[in-house]
Formats: sequence, C-alpha cells, structure tokens
Amino acid sequence: MNVMTQLPVGATHVAALRAEMPHAVLEERRQTADQITVTVKLESLPEAVAYLYYRRGGWLSVVVGNDERSIDGTFGVYYVLSMEEEDRCYLVVHAKVPEGKEEFPSVTPKVPACVWGEREIRDMYGLVPVGLPDARRLVLPDDWPEGLHPLRKDAMDHRFRPAPTADDETYSFVNDSDRETTVVPLGPLHITSDEPGHFRLFVDGEDIVDADYRMFYVHRGMEKVAETRMGYDEVTFLADRVCGICGYAHSVAYATSVENALGIDVPIRGQAIRAILLEVERLHSHLLNLGLACHFVGFDTGFMQFFRIREKSMMLAEMLTGNRKTYAINLIGGVRRDILGEQSSRTLATVRELRDDVTRLVDMLVSTANVEGRVKGVGILDPQIARDYSPVGPLVRGSGHRRDTRVLHAFQGYRLTGLDINTGDGCDVLSRTLVRVNEVFDSISLIEALLADTPAGPILTEDFTYVPYKFALGFTEAPRGEDIHWSMTGDNQKLHRWRCRASTYANWPVLRYMLRGNTVSDAPLIVASIDPCYSCTDRVTVVDVKKATQKTVPYKEMERYCRDRTASPLK
Amino acid sequence: MFKLIKEIFRSGEATVKYPFAPLPMEKDLRGKPEHTPEQCIACAACTIACPPNAIGMTTDVEAATRTWSIDYGRCVFCGRCEEVCPTDAIRLSQEFELAVAKREDLVMKAVFRLARCEACDTPFAVAKEVAYVQEVVAASAPTPDEAEQRRRLAATCPACKRAHDVRQPAAFGVARRLEETRR
Amino acid sequence: MSSLPTVDQFTPASGIGRIDTPADIARMKASLLKDIQRSAYVYRVDCGGCNGCEIEIFAAITPLFDAERFGIKVVASPRHADILLFTGAVTRSMRMPALRAYEAAPDPKIVVSYGACGCSGGIFHDLYCVWGGTDKIVPVDVYIPGCPPSPAATIYGFAVALGLLGQKLTAKTHVEGENERVAIAHPTVPYNLRVLVEREARRMAGYRQGGDLAEVFLAAMEAPDGRPFADRLAGLLRSTPDPRTREIFEALGGVITAAVGRLAR
Repeated sequence: MNVMTQLPVGATHVAALRAEMPHAVLEERRQTADQITVTVKLESLPEAVAYLYYRRGGWLSVVVGNDERSIDGTFGVYYVLSMEEEDRCYLVVHAKVPEGKEEFPSVTPKVPACVWGEREIRDMYGLVPVGLPDARRLVLPDDWPEGLHPLRKDAMDHRFRPAPTADDETYSFVNDSDRETTVVPLGPLHITSDEPGHFRLFVDGEDIVDADYRMFYVHRGMEKVAETRMGYDEVTFLADRVCGICGYAHSVAYATSVENALGIDVPIRGQAIRAILLEVERLHSHLLNLGLACHFVGFDTGFMQFFRIREKSMMLAEMLTGNRKTYAINLIGGVRRDILGEQSSRTLATVRELRDDVTRLVDMLVSTANVEGRVKGVGILDPQIARDYSPVGPLVRGSGHRRDTRVLHAFQGYRLTGLDINTGDGCDVLSRTLVRVNEVFDSISLIEALLADTPAGPILTEDFTYVPYKFALGFTEAPRGEDIHWSMTGDNQKLHRWRCRASTYANWPVLRYMLRGNTVSDAPLIVASIDPCYSCTDRVTVVDVKKATQKTVPYKEMERYCRDRTASPLK
Repeated sequence: MFKLIKEIFRSGEATVKYPFAPLPMEKDLRGKPEHTPEQCIACAACTIACPPNAIGMTTDVEAATRTWSIDYGRCVFCGRCEEVCPTDAIRLSQEFELAVAKREDLVMKAVFRLARCEACDTPFAVAKEVAYVQEVVAASAPTPDEAEQRRRLAATCPACKRAHDVRQPAAFGVARRLEETRR
Repeated sequence: MSSLPTVDQFTPASGIGRIDTPADIARMKASLLKDIQRSAYVYRVDCGGCNGCEIEIFAAITPLFDAERFGIKVVASPRHADILLFTGAVTRSMRMPALRAYEAAPDPKIVVSYGACGCSGGIFHDLYCVWGGTDKIVPVDVYIPGCPPSPAATIYGFAVALGLLGQKLTAKTHVEGENERVAIAHPTVPYNLRVLVEREARRMAGYRQGGDLAEVFLAAMEAPDGRPFADRLAGLLRSTPDPRTREIFEALGGVITAAVGRLAR
C-alpha cells in the first residue's frame, strides 16, 4: 500500500496490464486524477477486459461506442471498468475499429456483463461484435429499417422518422430450459399500465423455469438529440428526463462528465448542494420502493402509509428546487439554486420528522405477520452471478458485495462527509429491502451533516471555455445504483457523443436468474425488488413447460395474484 | 397489527383541502412562465436557451412584425427563459392550473413591430429592442457626439454595418494614398 | 369500434378513425358525463414517458391528494375505463400498444393527454423514435401540461375533464401598443456595474434567489437618502438575520467596492 502513495491513482492496474499482455497497450491517457483510458490493439480487447475484470477487481460500468471517423477515421469502443479492490479508479479500455472493416471481437464470451453494451453498439453503429452469441436487437424497435444506425454521424437527421412497417413485434424470446415449457405472457401488447417492457415467463406449473424480456419500449433517441439540437447546458435538462424518479442523478452525472473532461472545478458549495439534492431524491425513491414492497405482498395499508410520509420528501424537493420531480438545478459548472437560511432550517425540521416516521413505519412493517414470510428467501441473486454481470445499487449490496459509488469513487459533496456501505447477505428480496431501509436513515444523516456545515462561497463557476474532443466519465450513485455517463465535447459548441447508462440497465440482465426457481406469484415482487424505475413489468408472457400452452395474463392480474395468492391466473 | 392501528390514528386526516381551498405554494415554485409583453424586447435569448423549443419567434418581413410565442404544452418549466432574460420580461409564477380542452389554448403570442434600418430602410430588428439598445449604449458614451453616433449605429442593420465597415477602411486607404502622392 | 364514426383525415394502420370535430367531442363528453352518474374510472396508457408522470399520478391517488375523494379511480384494464390518460411522447414501439388500448376502451371515452410529452412531445418532440404527443395518434379531449403535472394540477385537470371546473387558460395574442418602450432597470446605477452585480448574484445564489437578492441590494443602494455606500451596506447587513444571505450581500458589496477601486486607479 505504501508504494501506491508514490504512484498516481490507477497506475498499478496499467502496469499490471502491460506486464500481463506485453505489446497490447498502444496508448495511455489520463482524464482526471482517477480516470485513465488505455488504448489496446483490437485483437487484444477481450483478453484485456477479462484480465482487468476478473483478476484486478474490475466491474463493468458501461460499454460506449463512438463515431470518431471525423477525428481519426475509426470507430471507438470503450469498455469502462470500475476498479473496486486495490487502487480504486475508473479504467477505460479503448480499441479502434477501422472504417470499412467494421467489426470487433466480442468480449461477452469472457465477460458476460458486456452483452447489452455490445448489442447496443451493433444497433446504434452497425459494428459487428464477432463471437457475440445473441444476435437480436436490443434498443431499436423491431420495425426499424435494417442497416440504419442512428448514431453514425452520417446516418440521418435526428428528426428522421422512418414510416412504420409492421404492427406486430418480431422479437424472439430465449428459453434455456431443457424441459418442455408453457409460455405465460404477462399481457403482451395488450394492456399498457406502468412502464413498458415485455416479459415472458417459462413455467412448469407454478414454477418459473426461465424468463426473458424485451425492454426499450421507451427508446426515444436522446443521445442523438444531445449531439444535434442541444447545447451543453440544455442537455442537463434532457438528462433530468432520462428517468422520472432518479433524473437528478443523471443530470449530475452528465454535468460532471463534461466538467471532468474540461477540468472545471465546481465550487465546493455547489458540490454540497448537488449531494444534498441527490439524497433528497434517494429519500423519495426508497420510500416509494418500500411502499411498493408493501403493495406487492398484499399490505396496502402499509403502502398508503409509506406514500403519506413520502410526500414530505416531495415537498422538500419542491421547496429546494421549485419542482417535485424534475429539479432543473444543474448547469455545467455548478447549480442554479442556493439553499438559504430558512430553507436550510425547514429542511432539517422535515428530515428529522421523516426519521421518526420511517422508524415507526418500518417497525410496523416488520411486526406485521407474514411480511417476512413473503420476502425471505425469494428472488435469490447468487453472489457469483452478480459478480459476472456487474449489477449495481441495493440489488448487488443485498447480495453481500460492497459496491457504492458514493464511497468507492467519492464524487461531488460526498467528498465532504463520511459514509458507510450498507450490505446484506440474504441475497433475497428481504435483504434488498433492509438495505434500502438503512439507506433512508443514512440519507437523512447525510443531509443533516451537509446542512450543518455547508461550505461558503459561490455555487456556480463561469470560468472555463469549451475545448473540442475532450472526454471523461461522470458518475453518481442513484437510488438504484451507479449512473454513469461518458461525454466527448465537439467542435461546434455541442457534444460529439453522450453515452448515458442508467442503473437499471445494469440490473436487468441478472433478473432472469433471480426469477428462476420461484413461483409465478412472486414474480412481480422480485421484479419490484430491483426497483426498476417503479415497475417495468406490465407485459409478461408465461410459458408452461409441461402443458406447452401459452397464456396472456394482464399485469394487474399478476399483481393481484401476487398480493392475494388465490385463484391462480394460470389455471 | 396494533402498531399499524396506532399509526393510523396518529396520522389522522392527511389529505389536503385542495381544490376546495387554495393549496399553499412555495415562493419559488416553477409554475407557469408569466410573460409580460410590455417589458419584452424580443431579443430571442429565451428562444435559444429553451431546452424543449417551447419558446419561438417568427418574422414576417412583409408586415414588418416579429411574433414571439410560448407553448405551455411543450414547456418543461425549467426557468431557463427567466434566467437569460435581460429585462425581466418572463418569470415563472405559482400558477399550476393549466389544463385546457383545446390545444390552441396553450399557446400565447406577442407581436412586435420591426424597426427599419436608418441606412437602407429595410426592417431588421424589433423596434423596442433597437430603442433599448440605443439607450444602453448611449448611456455609457463619454460625449454627446459619441452617444449620438452609437445610437445611429444601433439603428443600422447588420448588412449596412458590414458594408460600412468595408467602405470606411477603403476610404481611409484612398485618402492616405492621395496624401502620399501629394508629398 | 363500430360505433365510432371514421374520419378519413387520419387512419392509422389499425384502422382506428379519428374524431376531432368539436361537435363530436361535445356530444361524446355530454353523454358520458350524463350517463356515468358514478365514479369516473381512469386507465393509464404509458406511451414511453420517463416515469415522472406515472409517479405523480400515483401521488395524486395516495393519501395526501386522494383523488378517490372525487370518485376518480385508477383501473387495471382499458375495458373498464371512462377516461384514458396518455402519458409520454409516444415512442415508435409504443404506438401500436397505445392504439390497442384506445380501441379496447368502450365508447364514449374521454382522452386526457398528460404532461409536456403527452401534450406535444415535450423536450423529446422531434426525436427519431417518437411521434411527438398523444394527439398524433388519437383525438384528445383535455390537455394537462406540466413536467410532470403536480398532483394538484392532476386533480384540476380531472376536474376540467369531467366538467366540474372551468378552464382558466385561453389563447392570447398581445399586439405591441403605441409607444411601448422598455426602460432600463435601476437607471441611477451605471449599466455595466448593474450587470456585474447581477452576474455575481447569479454566481452566488442562482438566477432566482440571486436575482431577487440583487433587486433588494440595488434598491437599498440607490434609495435617495444621501448616506455613503459603506453605511448603506452596513445597514442592509444589520437588517439581514440569515448568515448566508449576509454573505451574498457582502459579495455584492465587494463587486461595487472593486469597481469603485478600478475607477479610482
């Protein structure tokens, strides 16, 4: 450890990579004190990522594709690794894909976590990941024209809308079971409540054998518009609307990515205000999830009680930002609103009240008969599967992994205060719920600590100029886990590339393993336990292994079954 | 169970009285952007800053007018327009009761007259904007002559300014050469 | 579907007709409002929003705002619905599911377009994978703007949809009057100095709070009582109990002191 104090952060990993794979590293660039990008030979990409991932304690944060033909005639692929054991930093493995020979060796066979990222690069840039087992689309709609890759700079205008060609979906769902299954679709394209997504459960009687899902029904093309219509500041408001619940975390992640790229120092008071608002957001999001947990086990009174006290955190957001949900607080270089004396004292009074309220409600929840029975041992996320797929947030912490961006890569106001990581070792719904409960109390303490000792001075800096083709990462710990953004500045006062990865994106791939072996009636509960931005489960197809029948069940019906556990919709 | 019942009694009636009584609002709520056309100089700062393009301007050269408009149906209530406005002509209010039956009712417009260029007489900018800028640049001028010159410059269209900029140095150049030949 | 008159103006792939003449809408709404005589059932159709609207609808039916007081109940199936609530900018993938939900709801039905995205596509209005608002695919009766609309705005919107409250907003066009002129604010303060003060205020406390505090500061500095600047500033600071607000006023005072210093040199 003493050696490391001599070396710049992250240097040990680069040295180890050079030693392990001589001649593979072509270039090494440092973006910030704890962000390094190493360019490797294209053919060495899978080995390099796998080495850093499994042998140096790396977790995959995001895979970024970028059209850099205007800069050096290549496409860039960036595998962002969060190094979380010794010598913590973000290490980005970059390789260049030459124009004309548009393919790269897939990393997925070695590191399963890369699967969605590589499928997305194929959709958006038309680069072919050679050796990627899954040949289906990820992001683009089924009827999107073949061969049109929206993020290529020369592909199309951001307003181009190809005429619809099909009224049905052609996505094929994967079932790994070796038995015969019956498909139970949870309302495929029939009912539209909650957030869109399509689920297919493959069941044997009441037991789930496998599951697959189709997401990205809400794909809008935000990354393209950020590069075309909008300027740097406007994108912070777009990032607010990536997600209606943890939008502020995205806005901060985007703003810091640009600030990191350009070396802008956000005034310390601005950083503290960002951290306070991130914790306010965590409060209302976790209270929402605790309420939904009550709802899904059939304890609706508890649901209403949690929503009653959740409104206090919403009022807090409205007082501090002017709006309950979309905070519109960030600009590049700082924040747009200060916390004056009266607001500070009202905030302190509210969070104190909330601490008492939550204590009483959680006490009520755990003392309610059969709540524990419904959530204990349900929806197990095996720690090894978690290790392979790099999920984030309370989900991975509930399986015993110490992953919390606020602590491992302290950013913004979190540098000003101490924080512990809450973990649980039950790996089940209960464990994740308890992690969230503890985090609510931590958020309250953090808000109190930051308000008690808010740094003085300005909240915004204007002391910078935009320089083209600088890039860096920005990251936050959203209520659902790490949000990570990768931005590259452009030469026309606009972004060249903005890649935004929401926390739930990293959590979906493991859901399949969590559903296996559970009963159909627990499915909504398990899905809710990853807190997928409220509930992305409205369309699930359930397939019965033995009867080889397929049935469509409206999500609300599934939800009812989850609550009441009588009158199975499958019979 | 007992704890639950206790909690229910404790919380009592939590529901707000709205819509039967007004809802207490935060002072700095980001509600409906309230535009004061009398105070607006149609400088277009808000149209550039507006992230969803809810604010826009169109120019009618024939009629010599420029129309500013805001679409509350597209507005995301971020307050950027308020932030960039140089004359405090737009400010987000506490008003939130915006529901309408007709889409058109969500659009507010303001029509401004265009000023004609002092040199070429073509309409080029909103008259109020020109007047405002004239006042600002004249106020900081060191002499009355300079103030008058700045006023006239502000009332000249960009095309004429460019032409003037080319003519003037050219004229200087000719004068210098004449002097040189005289010597 | 058979009871719906088809208008050739808009026929999507599924063959749903669009009815948007005011007479049709009025007739439908009147019959619905007369016939239901009971609670109004609401079905939410998420057409690819960010979820903010969904959560606020949830907040509107939970204890604090409790829309169920007025018999407004969120139901599980479009077949039960009187009101369809469309949120989101209508993404390419959600167009058909949304149309199917519309078809599934019995006539007559009220369509409410909810949030900036529903009303017009909002910030996503011209993206390649969105259609840009509810009224691009189905006829809309009531628009509820907001990003997202607050629970109170939601309740107001429902009340307008059910004809319980009248709408407040109407289209307006202001035409510039004769001799309409904009005066320069704080004419006694040099323009450039005022800009410096306002800019510092924004740096210290943002456009809103900073802007308001700069107004207070400038008003105190230009009040016609003949006292020197330092005295006025001290007086303003004495009458400000909040330490953070004092810090901001001090910073604004510093701007003026520095400017005066530059002039002296």
